[in-house]
Amino acid sequence: MIRNPDPLIDSLISQLAPVRPMRLSTGLGRTALSLAAAIGLVVAMLGLRGDATPLVLLSSGLFLVLGAAASVTVIMMGRPRVGSEHSGWLWAAAMAALLPATTLLMGLIHGPTAWAESDPATGMACLAMGLLFGLATASVLVAWLRRGAPTSPARAGLITGIAAGSFGIFAFSFHCPSNDLYHIGVWHSLSVIVAAVIGRVIVPRLIRW
Amino acid sequence: MKADEASLGQLAALAQRGDRAAYAAFLREAQLWLRRYFVRRVGAEFLDDLVQETLLSIHAKLSSYDPHRPLLPWLAAIARYRWVDQLRRIYRAQEDALSEELPCEDDEPEIAARISLDRLFSYLPEGQVRAIELVKIEGLSVTEAAAASGQSESLVKVNIHRGLKKLATLIEKA
Repeated sequence: MIRNPDPLIDSLISQLAPVRPMRLSTGLGRTALSLAAAIGLVVAMLGLRGDATPLVLLSSGLFLVLGAAASVTVIMMGRPRVGSEHSGWLWAAAMAALLPATTLLMGLIHGPTAWAESDPATGMACLAMGLLFGLATASVLVAWLRRGAPTSPARAGLITGIAAGSFGIFAFSFHCPSNDLYHIGVWHSLSVIVAAVIGRVIVPRLIRW
Repeated sequence: MKADEASLGQLAALAQRGDRAAYAAFLREAQLWLRRYFVRRVGAEFLDDLVQETLLSIHAKLSSYDPHRPLLPWLAAIARYRWVDQLRRIYRAQEDALSEELPCEDDEPEIAARISLDRLFSYLPEGQVRAIELVKIEGLSVTEAAAASGQSESLVKVNIHRGLKKLATLIEKA
């Protein structure tokens, strides 16, 4: 069958170059490498903390799970398809939110003196370090989204920030010497929240369609 | 001849490896599919532009297709994104004739129902659907749409704004 020539299609055909499909395993592998790199940098530059209390292990685990769930969601969002919910990360976020919620509740029960050990200057430093070490994951996920076709760039930006902030503060937890609920519950959680806001604002501008 | 979804997926997979003949066949079939997909949900004067913009997006985002998964949900997600994007840009177009030239039959009714544009509208309140249809698709002015729908002008504007915002969140989910 002879078809009418279409200049646009002819042009697209002439521009065709081989591309590697964006496989889930590739995205997961790159994100895992970014997390490993962040942990390696924390340990090499700042040193490993001496001990680990159950609170530290539990809170770090929550951030690790949240970072993983958010990363998987972002990777899936780069490969769009009708029928995808992209909502699995919300359950991990709800679990991780128990940490600041518990902190606030304990603060209300025990009064202002309970916050005495949570030095704001130290907390701000932790927040900044969480953001800094989250940059490794953020750069991997943003590059993935730029290559992919996220149909909700704003939402993708928000979840990218959550993934980067969670992995960043998880990596920094290998060094952070604090065992204090109020420090971890407030400042480590804030690192994720601030990263989410930054991701929501900046990442959509970096995505190209 | 209309290619089935599996054949289209194979053509897209070959195109990802740089096969120009397969890519040519894929683009032509995708073009036909997109025209059928959009024809009832876009003003006739915007149909060609929308199909072309979607083909450009398909070309730019070809690597985002996973050849191990069905093709149409991927194609429809990109098409829906482009459609919502165009609805946001179109305003006050004058012509209101909807094209009836192309049939909308499909060999795969279940998939067609799942990925259709009408399905997106089914998640919106009737007032929002009516406002978007009258102004963004049929090209009426806000004043004309208000008269035709019985809504106030400000309500038409609010319904369009809220409806488009909601559509953007439903592109893959609905």
